[in-house]
Amino acid sequence: MKQTKLLNILTKVKSFPSMPGAAEKLLKMLDNPDMTAAQIEQILRYDPGLTANLLKLTNSAYFGLPCKVGSVGQAVVLLGWKRLIQLVMASCVNAIMGKPVPGYDLPAGELWRHSIAVSVAAEDLAKELKISAPENIFTAALLHDVGKLVLGSFVKEDLEEIEIEASRGISFELAEHMVLGTNHAEIGAQILKSWSFPPALVNAVRWHHDPDSAGKTDTLVDIVHVANILCLMIGIGVGREGLCYKPSPLATKRLGLKTNDLEMVASRTLQYVDDLCDVFETS
Amino acid sequence: MKHIVVVADMKVGQKGDMIVTYALGSCLGLMVYDPIAQVGGMLHAMLPLSKINPQKAEANPFMFVDTGVPALFKKIYSMGGQKARLIVKAAGCGQPLGKNEMFKIGDRNYTILKKLLWKNGILLAANAIGGMIGRTVYFDISTGRTIISSKGLESEL
Repeated sequence: MKQTKLLNILTKVKSFPSMPGAAEKLLKMLDNPDMTAAQIEQILRYDPGLTANLLKLTNSAYFGLPCKVGSVGQAVVLLGWKRLIQLVMASCVNAIMGKPVPGYDLPAGELWRHSIAVSVAAEDLAKELKISAPENIFTAALLHDVGKLVLGSFVKEDLEEIEIEASRGISFELAEHMVLGTNHAEIGAQILKSWSFPPALVNAVRWHHDPDSAGKTDTLVDIVHVANILCLMIGIGVGREGLCYKPSPLATKRLGLKTNDLEMVASRTLQYVDDLCDVFETS
Repeated sequence: MKHIVVVADMKVGQKGDMIVTYALGSCLGLMVYDPIAQVGGMLHAMLPLSKINPQKAEANPFMFVDTGVPALFKKIYSMGGQKARLIVKAAGCGQPLGKNEMFKIGDRNYTILKKLLWKNGILLAANAIGGMIGRTVYFDISTGRTIISSKGLESEL
């Protein structure tokens, strides 16, 4: 029975939308140190919708650029192309992340808000802890819950059983696993794999609830883990399962995290989220 | 009229108004009501103490329990509410799973609230505090009725 469920879920993963062509091409270029603004412009030229969203994000208060940016070329100069590719990802997933998510009972727009919140909180945590931010931190945080988009309808179907398991004092993703044979982190990692994302990103998504099982110590995983729980606590993207997730004491120890750091980041996160989310909400 | 209180926010209302806040996790939701003046207000505060970020507290006192709670009471008094008649209820202050002290922001929020109320001789009429659940609160200013909704179930506070 569980096997059939798992097969159905994996079939859904296979039919999950692929990344838009432009994003995929840009992602492949991530490792190319000789990338030029002209090359990026060339790729984006054929996707005006994506370019428009990208420029909206670039001009958001979050980046605090001194002047309004009107072209991709200008954006590359001011933000650097790595940041720009992160924003291309954000523009691409905005549409799919904006949908309501069943099972977790997230209304329209809430998963997107949560994803952006975890991205800015993760970057801010790294800054607060004076850890040089792992390169993929924004994108890893942005996509950590992408698995919920596939798993949501399966969670909804078996919600009663999953909630009974969770009520025994285990975290929600473990309860998902007990009933469905997988959890939203695992499914998210599958989706990213099918999008040919770099292994570091796949890993961060896969272990965002269980950083101690990630194999080797990985700051990227630890930070996304903490940022995610913090954002749920302050009510951004907290769904039907509430706060039924367990922060890892080892991850906080590895990061050298203190209560003050956590509360300081929380106090700044809201403003950052509003700065970045407003660009799509007002359009 | 329906007022929505977002995170780090406060709204007040009078007869005919409904005040709502969604998704209280570890944040504190505080409802204050004067049944005679028929005025009430709701605070949704995120963190216990403003000293963590005084700049933010100055820009928005409702982010913190120690600055938000006095601001809510002052507003209610300015609308004709009287201390002796106030009915005060609290909700939220949840925690994630496990015993990690650092993540007990909800606990700390509730502790600061209790200290403030005790110092000022105010008692809580009711509370729905703690646990791992998210809560939505509907506060009807015509009647003072407070409904908590969680996991699709509603209950009166």
